[in-house]
Amino acid sequence: MSGLRRFTTQPSGSLLARFEPIEADLLRLATTQLLEMLDSGANDPQIAASDGIFGRLLPAAYRDDDEAASEFRRFTATELLDRKAQNAQVVLNSLDLREADAATPETDTAPGDDSEDRQPVTISLDPDAVQAWLRSLTDLRLTLADRLQISPDGVVHLSGDDTPFLRELYEWLGMLQEELVYAIDV
Amino acid sequence: MTQTTEHTELREDVSLDRPWVTLVWDDPVNLMSYVSYVFRSYFGVSPKQAERLMLQVHNNGRAVVATGNRESMERHVEAMHGYGLMATLAKADE
Repeated sequence: MSGLRRFTTQPSGSLLARFEPIEADLLRLATTQLLEMLDSGANDPQIAASDGIFGRLLPAAYRDDDEAASEFRRFTATELLDRKAQNAQVVLNSLDLREADAATPETDTAPGDDSEDRQPVTISLDPDAVQAWLRSLTDLRLTLADRLQISPDGVVHLSGDDTPFLRELYEWLGMLQEELVYAIDV
Repeated sequence: MTQTTEHTELREDVSLDRPWVTLVWDDPVNLMSYVSYVFRSYFGVSPKQAERLMLQVHNNGRAVVATGNRESMERHVEAMHGYGLMATLAKADE
């Protein structure tokens, strides 16, 4: 853990978020995949009946009434997925915004040339963006938990070459979300 | 308490007025701090009450977080799904 706090509150009410370049890259990669997954779901007419990760992102609203549950899903799925996609897009926009800022002083840097002295990046999040981040971090963690086959008791059942990395990413996202909750929770 | 009727048909009418509840269920993913934050920011309950509800979800597997008519419970459930929480609605006392 670095000595600096990740999130600091500004007088304007916005939060400043500080990331190592590798962290920003990872978050961008994971969020891009989430967005692609959400878009594929939004284009799937069978989404109301689907299970797996969409079953968790759009859980049954009625436990003992399948008909009411599928009707609820039919009326809410499109908008819920749409908002989840918008939230993911807000995260990506926040991350890209700092890129534009950071690019200005070093316009001639070739891609791949900057790996050694990349500086921590700072992102400003207004209250709306914070809400989008909170929800999108949840969606990322739900998606990763599905891939890791985490059972209700919290045990990871996936065993493969990917598992340690996915698990680390899952835990890092949880830490990030907790830091964000504490930062706005005054 | 007074007894209003002895007709069973009318008891069914009474049951239509039974309120609905929004339930939030425990899941292995969502953080306790986040769930507590959601209860505070969405339902506007006090930090103490939010903590109590969150612990109820955590320890008992579920908690009733709102009571009212079916339409408003559906709105709450949709909002909870937006936050990524496991939420359902049901008639009270089910």
